[in-house]
Amino acid sequence: MDFTFSDEQQMLRDSVSAFLLKNYDFDRRNAIVRSDAGWSREVWQQFAKLGLLALPFAEDRGGLGGSMADLVAIAEPFGAHLLAEHYTASAMLGGAALALAGDGSPAAGWLDKVITGEAIAALAYEEGPGTPDPSLIQAVVERQGSGFSLSGEKRMVLGGGDADVLVVVARLEGALALFAVEPAVQGITIRPYATIDGRRAANIAFDTVAIPAEALILADAGDALRGVLDRAILALCAESVGAMGALLRQTAEYAATRKQFGVPIATFQAVAHRLADMKIAYTKARATLLYTTALIDTGRATPKDIAILKGQTGKLGRALGEAAIQTHGGVGMTDELSVSHLHKRILANDALLGNAEYHLRKVGVLA
Amino acid sequence: MNIDFGSELETFRAEVCAFLDTAPTPAIREAGRKLTSVFAQFDQVMEWHRILYHQGWSAPHWPKEHGGTGWSVEQKYIFAEEYRKRDLPPLLPQGVGMVGPLLIDIGTEEQKAKYLPGILKGEDFWAQGYSEPNSGSDLASLQCRAVADGDDYIINGSKIWTTYAHHANRMFMLVRTDSSGKKQQGITFLLLDRMDYPGMTVRPIIGLDGFPEQCEVFFEDVRVPQSGRVGAENDGWSVAKHLLKHERGGGAQSPTLKRGLERIREAAQTTPSGFGTMLAEDPVFQRDIGELEADIASFEHFEKLAVSGHPVAADPAYPSINKTMNSELTQRVTVMLTQAVGNEALPLQLEALRVGANVEPLGSDLDLIAMPWYLNSRATTIYAGSNEVQRDLIARTVGREG
Repeated sequence: MDFTFSDEQQMLRDSVSAFLLKNYDFDRRNAIVRSDAGWSREVWQQFAKLGLLALPFAEDRGGLGGSMADLVAIAEPFGAHLLAEHYTASAMLGGAALALAGDGSPAAGWLDKVITGEAIAALAYEEGPGTPDPSLIQAVVERQGSGFSLSGEKRMVLGGGDADVLVVVARLEGALALFAVEPAVQGITIRPYATIDGRRAANIAFDTVAIPAEALILADAGDALRGVLDRAILALCAESVGAMGALLRQTAEYAATRKQFGVPIATFQAVAHRLADMKIAYTKARATLLYTTALIDTGRATPKDIAILKGQTGKLGRALGEAAIQTHGGVGMTDELSVSHLHKRILANDALLGNAEYHLRKVGVLA
Repeated sequence: MNIDFGSELETFRAEVCAFLDTAPTPAIREAGRKLTSVFAQFDQVMEWHRILYHQGWSAPHWPKEHGGTGWSVEQKYIFAEEYRKRDLPPLLPQGVGMVGPLLIDIGTEEQKAKYLPGILKGEDFWAQGYSEPNSGSDLASLQCRAVADGDDYIINGSKIWTTYAHHANRMFMLVRTDSSGKKQQGITFLLLDRMDYPGMTVRPIIGLDGFPEQCEVFFEDVRVPQSGRVGAENDGWSVAKHLLKHERGGGAQSPTLKRGLERIREAAQTTPSGFGTMLAEDPVFQRDIGELEADIASFEHFEKLAVSGHPVAADPAYPSINKTMNSELTQRVTVMLTQAVGNEALPLQLEALRVGANVEPLGSDLDLIAMPWYLNSRATTIYAGSNEVQRDLIARTVGREG
């Protein structure tokens, strides 16, 4: 058994961390988040150059054939640096869904552009207040002439307002199907917004949108979609664990230097024990992250394993983030420190694709 | 990353399973099924110790030249995993887990020759004399005095929470030999050859679960030879700290917790929730058991990372994190267990719990053990350094994770 990163993975991780330290400190990140676009094409092109956009895709699709361990190695620093760019949205959700298409299809063409960084993809999956399980999908597609007609509303589509191509999940004759849809088509209304954690997302309404036959990526896509969602959950959790690590370090440093009653607050046992609980939470979440990564990479992750990962990361992440804010006191309440931003990133990742409450009950249901 | 133990280890696992499936006697298995504590029923666990000794497996983590197995960390984990899956009683830790490894590291050649074989073979049982009525978490404040007199020490004072002292024939203990300096200085580590020295009395303490697991030991002018000293006089604190190293790492506690989960789920099949279904189908129960199972999974992942040599095991807080997680999960398992069996946990069945009892238990094995196990497990967050002390230690390392 070995749950450490290989030398190559460590080098990749180090190079991503070094890039972010140099080009993506908290101030610069905030400037990007507050810009009109809300993310940086320059950073995106650098990611393309570093090979990060090609990393998760198979070599015969023009990717680098990276494992999930490779992905986790870079997603943790993404979380620690509060990345605003659409890595998870475009590579792990939208791009991964495009990659299910056969060679020569329009979706495959879009994938080429996602890999080179010329295009952003998004997965239009979640509906209503949240979609913890694909069986809840209500958007529907009907056959119309040689093509299809799509109706429904998607909400909280990460990168949905910035995407050059949307992969839409909808019911086709009862089963779940995936379609590659261009956002400018008639009948599509996109309402973009910023999220609490500094990303861009959108609600997207589809009103009897005419879709050509070749836009179909996969009919009866249930199992394949589950695989995409599982790997995206791993990426989201890796980001959150990276954010937890950053919160733990910052809070330890703050508690060791902030003085009240003439002594560092870390010397008070009530504060010290909260710090200890934060470390225990981080240790648990990271152990589960690394273990589940190895399970997925060997094709052995069960639905229960995924639910454990998502449930633990959400629950432990929230507890750690709330403890970090409490320990920082008044300044923890401000927008000026990264503490609150890291907490919000953890909360957002928890809410996506089923929150901790859902996943922990699921662990209980799956005997 | 690599999640597999490797095929040669799976061969080893098969060998372990074959032995564990056949070697224990019915009484030993019964002691395992009736386990409501870290400390199994004495006669059966010692019998099991001697069987394991004949197999050469009574002290897996000792060096080979002293009778250990020479197993790798992974092999030890597999052994512990299979052992615990079968509800077998764990060996009492004071000998093979504590004083044995200490003597191997820093005992004199005479001490090793004299004491190690008895520990390995399960002929001797050692009591641990650390805590005192006024020295619990603040162990270094201990007051039990030993005054040098010729080749002997004369001991006066008392020890408390000495598990199974009424079964012990030997004892290791900390005594105060000097009160002039810092409290950590002036402590000496002693080995006692007997428990029946003149002036020595053992009083069993009935615990909240109804069993005399713990004891108090009184010393009134007890004369013991100085040859039983480990390390130098007044250097006992560093000896005691060295011993703590042997309580660390390589453990496989999660299989025990997972067995507990299985048993909770089993009981939940037949206990009504009160809302029209059995507990097993109740959403609140599902949420609670899911949360507990997920937390136990994280602990298992943590254990496996440690076994595989991941840097998490090199963190100075590792032993404290391990102890805190395991103890608190044990308590949560036993809480849910009592809830899952409902009123069936209430009959006081002390006699039925005894191995070889002639009394039929009122309900299932689970009904029988749920409450005493719950009650006994309140100790897990108190002993071996209370969890408050563990959190103090963990807090000192925060922010220095790898």
